[in-house]
Amino acid sequence: MSIEKGKINSRQLLFLIAGFVQGSVLLIDFTVGITEHQTWMVILAGLALTAPFFLSYVVLAKRFHGMNLVQINDIVYGRFIGKAVSVYYIFFLLMTLSFNIRDVGELYITFLMPDAPFIFLLIVFTVTCAYAAIKGIEVLARVSHLFVVTGIFVIISTFILLIDQMDFSNFLPFFELPFARIFQGIHIMSAIPFGETLVFLVIMGCLNNTEHMVKNTFIGLLIGAISLLIVSVRNTAVLGRTQCIWTSPSFQSIRLIDIGTVLTRMDFLIGIAQTVLIFFKCSLFFYALLISLSQLFGLKTYLPLVLPLASIEVIIAATVFQSPVDHAMITQNAGIIYSAPLMFVIPPLSLLIAKIRGLPKLEGDGET
Amino acid sequence: MIFLLLIYALIIIINVPQLIKRREWRELTAFFILYTIAFTLGLMYVLDIPIPSPMKALQHLIVDVLGIKYPQ
Repeated sequence: MSIEKGKINSRQLLFLIAGFVQGSVLLIDFTVGITEHQTWMVILAGLALTAPFFLSYVVLAKRFHGMNLVQINDIVYGRFIGKAVSVYYIFFLLMTLSFNIRDVGELYITFLMPDAPFIFLLIVFTVTCAYAAIKGIEVLARVSHLFVVTGIFVIISTFILLIDQMDFSNFLPFFELPFARIFQGIHIMSAIPFGETLVFLVIMGCLNNTEHMVKNTFIGLLIGAISLLIVSVRNTAVLGRTQCIWTSPSFQSIRLIDIGTVLTRMDFLIGIAQTVLIFFKCSLFFYALLISLSQLFGLKTYLPLVLPLASIEVIIAATVFQSPVDHAMITQNAGIIYSAPLMFVIPPLSLLIAKIRGLPKLEGDGET
Repeated sequence: MIFLLLIYALIIIINVPQLIKRREWRELTAFFILYTIAFTLGLMYVLDIPIPSPMKALQHLIVDVLGIKYPQ
């Protein structure tokens, strides 16, 4: 039984993935403090490392066409182990959504509206995401290209406006940092912007056909990765080593834009773009969480769960970390370690088991 | 506190009558499970009762108990 009635096509999926990865543009700051001027390398290495795993998500979704993650787990691992694996995924979705909601709150408190109550910002943002999730995946998919175009426009325009302040010697020397830090940076990159695309294991069940699915999903991933790369190159070229001392290097670099003293203080552009992109990412996370939870409970619709779940998310987001420093410290260690099996072990393993057991069996074969 | 009670009363008014009318008992049960968790967390937050962070527990388990961490 499918909870979502809406259908999307593979071109819309391309924009959904691109917008989702662009939504992590704020989160590359977690890596900057560790990998400094080599962040651009870490983004490319993270992409290369995650690509085979991302392929496993797509192939798995293609093999179990029309099914979401919870249904796939039930078929592959059986009813009880499947449910346990699904609960692990749901915990990941619940926590990651709350981190992203908190990111928006911290962004506003630190840079845009320092006097606003933190909880109020979280409530407003979460209710907006809940509204988008109520509208369903079809509506989100129909507007996805607008989010991607907005993101690309802001990223490219700020890059062009900052060209005169760029110093490309800031990228030197190459391979200066110890391997452990580079490895940690690659792990953060492969887990946060790229590995989180496992939410599409829930969303890809709504695809109306699987034609060009692999190609379009990879183009989407590539658009997102290139956006992150441009942001990273811009920040390093403009700020150099000082980028490590700022809370948000993107905001700091955009503040340096000064075109004839007319075009200045353009950090509001970044504020708008990041809010829009994180909103899109959080809406997709919220939607995936609702579908997974409803499937786990065996419900016909996810709508009754929206408001209670939004309330839970707000409280978790407000209390899960004590400060932005605490947030960064935990994400850079436990945050990326506990989610590694979900991204890099379970999907390829599910695919392997499905292949060996010949799943999913057609109706009439005696099984699902 | 009053604001919290108003919000949670509103959530019940929006969802429950429709669910009862459509006789969706499973949905109603799932709704009340999440609603109870949400209300408890909301109440703890408003009354300034510390809410345990699942990430702190995970950090303790992974870093302190299992010893898996990146060198600082």
